[in-house]
Amino acid sequence: MAENAVPRETVLALRDAIARLERDRPSGSCLSRWETEGERAGFSASGRSLPMPDVTGQDVTRQADVLPLGVPTLDHAMSGGLPLKGLSEIRVAETRDAGAATGFTLGLAALCQARRKARGELGPILWISETMAGQEAGEPYGVGLSLLGIDLRAALFSRPRNLQQALWIAEAALGFSVFSAVILEIRGNPARLGLAESRRLQLRSLGSGVPVFLLRQAGEEEASSAHLRLLVRPAPAAPFMLPDGTMLTTGIGHPAFHVIAEKTRAFSPVDAYLEWSSHARRFHPLDPVAVPLPANAADPFTVLSASVGRPGGAPALGRVMAFKRAS
Amino acid sequence: MRIVALDSVADRLRLKRGQGVAEARAMHPQLDVLPADPTADQAFLSALADWCDRYTPLVAYAGADGLALDITGCTHLHGGEKALLDDVLSRLFQLGVEARGAIAASPGLAWALARFSTARLSDDSVIEAGEEAAALGPLPVTALRLPETLTDTLIRLGLTHVADLMEAPRAALARRFGPLVFLRLDQALGHDDEPLSPRRPVAELSVERRLISPVSGEDDILGLALQLAAGLKTTLEERGEGGRQFELLLFRVDGKVFRLLAGTSSPLRDPQRIAALYKERLAAVHDDLDAGFGFEILRLCVLKVEPIKSVQDDFSGRPDQSRALADFTDRVIARFGDEVLSIAVLAASHIPERAASLQPAGDAVLPARKTLQAEEWPVMPVRPLRLLTHPERVEVPAADVPDGAPERFFWRRTAYRVARAEGPERIAAEWWIDGEDAPTRDYFRIEDETGRRFWMFRNGLFQRERMHPDWFMHGIFA
Repeated sequence: MAENAVPRETVLALRDAIARLERDRPSGSCLSRWETEGERAGFSASGRSLPMPDVTGQDVTRQADVLPLGVPTLDHAMSGGLPLKGLSEIRVAETRDAGAATGFTLGLAALCQARRKARGELGPILWISETMAGQEAGEPYGVGLSLLGIDLRAALFSRPRNLQQALWIAEAALGFSVFSAVILEIRGNPARLGLAESRRLQLRSLGSGVPVFLLRQAGEEEASSAHLRLLVRPAPAAPFMLPDGTMLTTGIGHPAFHVIAEKTRAFSPVDAYLEWSSHARRFHPLDPVAVPLPANAADPFTVLSASVGRPGGAPALGRVMAFKRAS
Repeated sequence: MRIVALDSVADRLRLKRGQGVAEARAMHPQLDVLPADPTADQAFLSALADWCDRYTPLVAYAGADGLALDITGCTHLHGGEKALLDDVLSRLFQLGVEARGAIAASPGLAWALARFSTARLSDDSVIEAGEEAAALGPLPVTALRLPETLTDTLIRLGLTHVADLMEAPRAALARRFGPLVFLRLDQALGHDDEPLSPRRPVAELSVERRLISPVSGEDDILGLALQLAAGLKTTLEERGEGGRQFELLLFRVDGKVFRLLAGTSSPLRDPQRIAALYKERLAAVHDDLDAGFGFEILRLCVLKVEPIKSVQDDFSGRPDQSRALADFTDRVIARFGDEVLSIAVLAASHIPERAASLQPAGDAVLPARKTLQAEEWPVMPVRPLRLLTHPERVEVPAADVPDGAPERFFWRRTAYRVARAEGPERIAAEWWIDGEDAPTRDYFRIEDETGRRFWMFRNGLFQRERMHPDWFMHGIFA
């Protein structure tokens, strides 16, 4: 009995220390089913339940290398905003959702660019797109990009032949701190982009201070070195507002996204609806309830899982510490 | 089958070109006959011409079996004319090539002497100024590069040697045989000008390094390239220019020559950056660059120059923005080629796929670029973020209104229900390009129930241009 007492004490002390650490910067796990468990344990990191001022007020001033999106729930989950250094992964479950993810990522890139421009720099954006990704989801379209708020005079597009070239170009670009953002678009979970490669990107990005956005089309969640992984889903746009202030319910307004922060320092996933205003070049939070969906919106189809050609495995038991390689 | 070429042994056996192979075999049963391969001959000659670049940048083909080198101003580098000729011939001999050569003031005379001279010593193959007539006189008229029929006629008339022609009355012969005979004669004697046309444009500047012991390692080559680039710097600075296109020539010991081209997006003279370009180039051609027993001569040429504006570094310590960007594009292009990096260029067209395109970024330095901006358009259209390269066919089962938006559709084997639609935006074809029958497109911006936004068009006006127009998916909105 006496032998057990000391370890038990140590364990309690350690647990206490961990709890203290995590209360300061709540460390994360990934799936929503632990939300209640986590909150029972005292980690109430879910942004909705927190008062806003202490989020936006302190965190932002303390950390200069984050970019607040102006959406409190997301900003809090990302401890202040989008990290301006390092690798962030943005993924969509299906190729047909690629438009939403592209818009969201370009919105982030435009924010980074605006920050650079405020400092009097050119701040070009580099968009590296794997050949297959461009063929499946469409090539970048200059007019549309320009209308979204991207300065085409400061945008470079790269279409490498394979992933190896894409990674090389991304790493080379991260060696030059002129870029305001590097977007690396890939398809699925290629085996050649594993932990080691994402770690290289992460370190290079931390070194040069250029954020990398890994835009993953039709990819599964996978262990990587990215500190942040966001899942983007399409969301119905708010009605179009006419110049006189009336809403045109049949019109389609600003681009809207449903963003789920899958991997953050927050305890549980956080989601938010937001829209991008290309005129003001900023995100606005969007209340999904306020968006009047059309009458026939009741979906008679069940949304099937994206896995095709392989059986869905049994749900994992216990805590998932790291995802298996999806590639 | 006829004989087209002979080696010197066969020549001594008194075989002739044009003779039948069967006849020659009957005379000499031990004859070794190889089928002629003009393409391989041409490739070999071209490789030899590359090899000859070590003597002069002006190397031209002289017929299908010879090379003409313009060595004006190059001889002192090799210890004089005779030494140069000896060097060429002995090196070629070591490479296993049986070659003959001559140096003369005119290409015609050198051509004639190299082929028809009976001189055994190289002393006699270098013709000083003033000795042309004496050297050309004893040669047969075949040495004048005249058409075969003309030569035959001359020989039948007894004018077998060039000296006969030189002594004959000009006017009568010219009337009979046309002006070509005396044109060739004058060219050979140097009375008439005959320019050589070199195979490659002459480089603006070039620096070379001859090595005593050959190098083969990539690092050695890069180090030497850096030294060569440093040698270019002062000349470029004096001229106030920078290079836009560089060529690194690697002369391998066994005679093969590698040429590595590297372009830049802005004029360049910094040795480090030129060497950095070649670092990428070498990495890119890694497998194709077979160093063999090493390279003995390295030469760096500047093929294209442009005036450069000198820039003073400021004291802020921050790297220059546009220079860093140019550096990045150069490195990527040097490694993967021109088409890997592109910029979006807008054009004044209503047809969506013509209004914007991705163009190679190689030539344009980003901030200096002047392009059309979407803000300059009179009306802000609604355009997608991504455009499918080829519009994809969409199945539309039925529409409430025949020329309205669809209610449901199938795209890539998936059913979609339309929640909201905006449109149509009617875009007529550009008849001056597509012809008058090209259908008008009605574009709709469509949002499905989940919130995906698509850009679809109906190809042709209902019942006017097409009976049942097809639908196409053209783009994806954010």
